[in-house]
Amino acid sequence: MTEQRALQGLRVLDLSWVRAGPWATRLLGALGAQVIKVEWPAPGSQHYTGRIPFAGQESGEAPNLNNSHWFAEVNANKSSITLNTGTPAGRELLKQLLEVSDVLIENYRSGVLTRWGLGYEAIAQINPNIIYVSMSSMGHVGRDNTYSGMGPSHQALSGQTFLSGLPDAPPAGWGWSYMDDTGGMYGAMCVLAALHHRNRTGKGQHVDLAQVAVGVMCTGAAVLDNTVNHRPARRPGYPPGNRAHWPGTPLLNNYRGPTVAPHNSYRTAGGGYNDWCVIVCSNDDEWQKLVTVMGDPIWAKDAMFGTVLGRLENQEEMDRNIEGWTVTLDKYDLSSRCQEAGVRAMPVQSAADRVERDPQLEERGNFITLDHPVMGPKVYQNPPIRASESLTTSWSPGPLIGQDNREIYCGLLGLSEEELRERYVDGTLWPKDLPSEAYSYLPELAEVNDARQER
Amino acid sequence: MTSQSYSEGILGDLRVLELADEKGQWCGKLMADMGADVIKIEPPGGAPERRIGPFYQDQPHPERSLYFWHYNSSKRGITLDIEKDTGRDVLRSLVATADIVLETFPPGYLSSLGLGYEQLRSINPSIIMCSLTPFGQNGPWAQYQTADILQMAAGGQMAMCGYDEEDVPDAPPIAPGGGNAWHIGSHFAFIAIGAALYQRHMTGQGQHLDVSIHECCSLNTQQSISAYRANGETLQRHTGGQASAGSRQTSQSMGKDGKFLNRQALGVRTPPDRLRALAEWMNTYGMADDLLEEKYLDPKVIADRSEHLNDVLQRCLAAVTAEEAYHGGQKARYPWGEVRTVEEILTDPHWDDRGLWQEVEHPELGQRLKYPVAYALFSATPISISRRAPLIGEHNEEILCGELGMSRAEMSVLAEFGVV
Repeated sequence: MTEQRALQGLRVLDLSWVRAGPWATRLLGALGAQVIKVEWPAPGSQHYTGRIPFAGQESGEAPNLNNSHWFAEVNANKSSITLNTGTPAGRELLKQLLEVSDVLIENYRSGVLTRWGLGYEAIAQINPNIIYVSMSSMGHVGRDNTYSGMGPSHQALSGQTFLSGLPDAPPAGWGWSYMDDTGGMYGAMCVLAALHHRNRTGKGQHVDLAQVAVGVMCTGAAVLDNTVNHRPARRPGYPPGNRAHWPGTPLLNNYRGPTVAPHNSYRTAGGGYNDWCVIVCSNDDEWQKLVTVMGDPIWAKDAMFGTVLGRLENQEEMDRNIEGWTVTLDKYDLSSRCQEAGVRAMPVQSAADRVERDPQLEERGNFITLDHPVMGPKVYQNPPIRASESLTTSWSPGPLIGQDNREIYCGLLGLSEEELRERYVDGTLWPKDLPSEAYSYLPELAEVNDARQER
Repeated sequence: MTSQSYSEGILGDLRVLELADEKGQWCGKLMADMGADVIKIEPPGGAPERRIGPFYQDQPHPERSLYFWHYNSSKRGITLDIEKDTGRDVLRSLVATADIVLETFPPGYLSSLGLGYEQLRSINPSIIMCSLTPFGQNGPWAQYQTADILQMAAGGQMAMCGYDEEDVPDAPPIAPGGGNAWHIGSHFAFIAIGAALYQRHMTGQGQHLDVSIHECCSLNTQQSISAYRANGETLQRHTGGQASAGSRQTSQSMGKDGKFLNRQALGVRTPPDRLRALAEWMNTYGMADDLLEEKYLDPKVIADRSEHLNDVLQRCLAAVTAEEAYHGGQKARYPWGEVRTVEEILTDPHWDDRGLWQEVEHPELGQRLKYPVAYALFSATPISISRRAPLIGEHNEEILCGELGMSRAEMSVLAEFGVV
């Protein structure tokens, strides 16, 4: 097996925070890029808050900068340095980092980095070939560019929230920040596309990604159905729950593939919160196979279920009958029986199911145990990619705060030991009022305390 | 937006052979809109996705599928029966000219035709082949059949989306629509290919990429794995909000127009100056109640009275439209968003300012149709749709005769043979 990673040699300076930006760089890191996460752990700063109150601490554990599971997963495969970019000495170090970086990635509100003197024009003066990817909510161009958002509001504004739910009920939306995960994907995609262009032409550029616009792209054919057919999304039967079409409403395609039935969720044996499965029959032949798997029940022989139009019209009765069968079987047993007979069915899986019961993720090595210096060995996720000529597994849990200061500042930028110590003392690399006891992996901190006491 | 025109796109030097159905066509489209020469290879008669609606003016026809148009812009198209020897020969000739092969067939299918990665590599050693499949190339589920909603069930999406019991009793877990399992898979296929291109640039080496949509979906569930890993938590579904181990948090409110606003609750983390900015906006509707009083300059008062604050806010939000609340909240620096449909998005001038939309010529209709395209503005090399989706076999002659040097007579024979 090769030890090569595809993005080996690529250096990414990561000024992003919260989730969407860090998710982009997590993937780039797994694929071999050196991702340098720039943090400032002063209480109240965004990086401090990124590591502390967003939960993910184990029950009973007092939150500190290094024990968030949430942070450790989102920031796997990266280095961490601390830097106060608000001081002249901090700016100088940031400038030196930019000179040796291929990519800068950030997800601040439009205008914030420009105000700090770190906009694209300024950075391009330092490093004209840099690829500078901004991933704000609304983008940097446009009248509402200063609006801010988070995954859930991006989902709302892009039409993603509305396409999820039962008809005549409030939108169900997405139960996690789908647009953070997906916005992050687009951040990585833009980096890679711009890199390809730079490898060919030598030219860097600025990419102004709007995360809300990404969500609009991902609503399927809904946009064209409106711009071309003038069909409103606020209409009876839309969104259609888990169905392709809601019976008793006008028969229309609802942007989830072919309009077929069955296409629904059904309860399975056990009656637990996630004891559900999903079954889809995409044609009459698959329906007949399902009838066979169900044991040829009498109800299914009714002619009204023999055609797709009949099944669409009589979904309530059909789905009730199908569920009468599914509740007798465990969701995994049911799915494998169906699949072996050529019927499309899968279990609804929770996180616990995916970690503990999913034989496919297990066989494919989707999870990897990595040892975190504070939280110990835990399961992390690998990228969903296997490559014949490169390694694609996750290789480190999220970094301890500032753990790579010495390697980056001395090893990469060539600071002397004396200069490194001085930057700690003058507050460039560590907030003066932040207690240092919990960070013994940074020996400089102890020295700094001594130095300060002497002064 | 810049008005400068460019002769080449971001990926303008690349040729992609797309042997992909609904699972991978989005990846090809995104690369094509970046300037890659994406040749979509369809079976004679056209790809099955052409039969998926909605259709132009509700006329079901393989050349009228809005679904197909959305997912296949900027591509060229040829028809080819790769199960026939001659079809395979044509494909091999194309592989020699290509950088990337993107395919979504069941694992083992292309190898059984003599078109697997090892065979293609012998034709073109630097080829990057991406196999995007429901569950990956190996494992007990590798040959399972699928659908977008099945991936969302197994991937973990459904277990996190749905309703609080008090809102919709007995509600099932919900799979959001829009074809997003295919989108999620296509995004990772794009990333895999992009990384492999970087490696090829550095080393000259091509490779085979095995991307599992199941793994893509499982990874796209934010905190669920971390929450389980930390405390063994099973997340509860909440109406329009984040699934969580604990009780629901305020996430959406209905305005007077019946439309919803996505927002967060006020409370301990609301600084006094931010509360005041919001109260000033509420006061323009005469609905600030006591929120402008000096006592709220004390964070402790905000924390103690958070229930009252949220009641006042809720009353105000119910008295204004979701659109008013969105802009009012944003101007007070709250990251709120109106729960919009396409109608509201299309009429928001912000997206016109950014040039999100593009009018794309459909010569057969004598019409220009409006597509979403520029999700990101690249300063040197803009994303744009270079042409509407190909007609069935539209570029057969251009590619087979013009580029592979086949005569028209030979192509005619292939057509009679059912190869093209």
